[in-house]
Amino acid sequence: MYKPGFTLWYNVSDLERTMEFYTEQLGFEKYSFDKENGMGSVHTNTKDCYIGFSEAEKIIPSTAAAVMEVENIDAAVKKLTEKGIVFNGDVSIIPGYVKLITFKDPDGHDLELSQTL
Amino acid sequence: MEKAVQVIQITKELSGRWIIPILLSLDKSGGRFTPLKNILQISPSRLSSNLKTMTEAGLIQHLSPFERNHPLLPEYELTEKGLFMKEAAYVISNTEHQLSQGFLAAKAWNWPVLLALYCQYHEFNAIRQLLQTVTPRILSRRLGELWEKGLVEKTLITDPTPKYTYALNDDVKPIIRSAMSDLSALL
Repeated sequence: MYKPGFTLWYNVSDLERTMEFYTEQLGFEKYSFDKENGMGSVHTNTKDCYIGFSEAEKIIPSTAAAVMEVENIDAAVKKLTEKGIVFNGDVSIIPGYVKLITFKDPDGHDLELSQTL
Repeated sequence: MEKAVQVIQITKELSGRWIIPILLSLDKSGGRFTPLKNILQISPSRLSSNLKTMTEAGLIQHLSPFERNHPLLPEYELTEKGLFMKEAAYVISNTEHQLSQGFLAAKAWNWPVLLALYCQYHEFNAIRQLLQTVTPRILSRRLGELWEKGLVEKTLITDPTPKYTYALNDDVKPIIRSAMSDLSALL
């Protein structure tokens, strides 16, 4: 029934600022950008997995976290902090399962890094 | 005459710098704020304020983020009244194209005055009475501006007391007649 492909869509208040955040700060690849229509998307590091953005007048930040897998969460936090990402607190550990840390995009949508243990 | 009064009321409601452009561009923008802002070349705050006014007037409906199933779906949709007013906006827009005197509906009372003149209201006080809420100062200014544009002619009557009467220019009359007929047909 399903074919490979997964896209998250967010409403954002400033498309250019968001694209800059996801490409320059998080390091994802720009996939599309249509300034006139306020639409854009990035390709994540995962095949067929995209994050799309649509500029809107009113934004309600999503509390459903988009979780990105990293190989080493401490190294990833260090690298992203240098890129200006501000994390919410410290890395949480669920013993034997996962290490997690959350942060937000410019519109307050919840994002999370995860290192499977 | 009742229909004419209704038509005049419609043109009064459609007066303003942005209401007709928004009604005519909303579909093209997919009902989304950013494309609409870019099509109209309007500042975000001004567009927000106009959309709020139009929502309060029952012309459009604002869909909250919770009511939309996808971020690319419309943020604003025309209501039934909005769809009706969009048709009227088309008539006004097409008529203004024929008149070639710019965006007349951008200024309040231009269209009601043209329609009042078409309905044989030629004297200042008679027009004022028909349009009810127009102030003498604005009515006088609009008549003057329409005269300067060559849409209206004025005649000085000296008997019994000196005063001007106003009428549509002969070239303008058939264009306004057609607009009146098209707008009446919408009712």
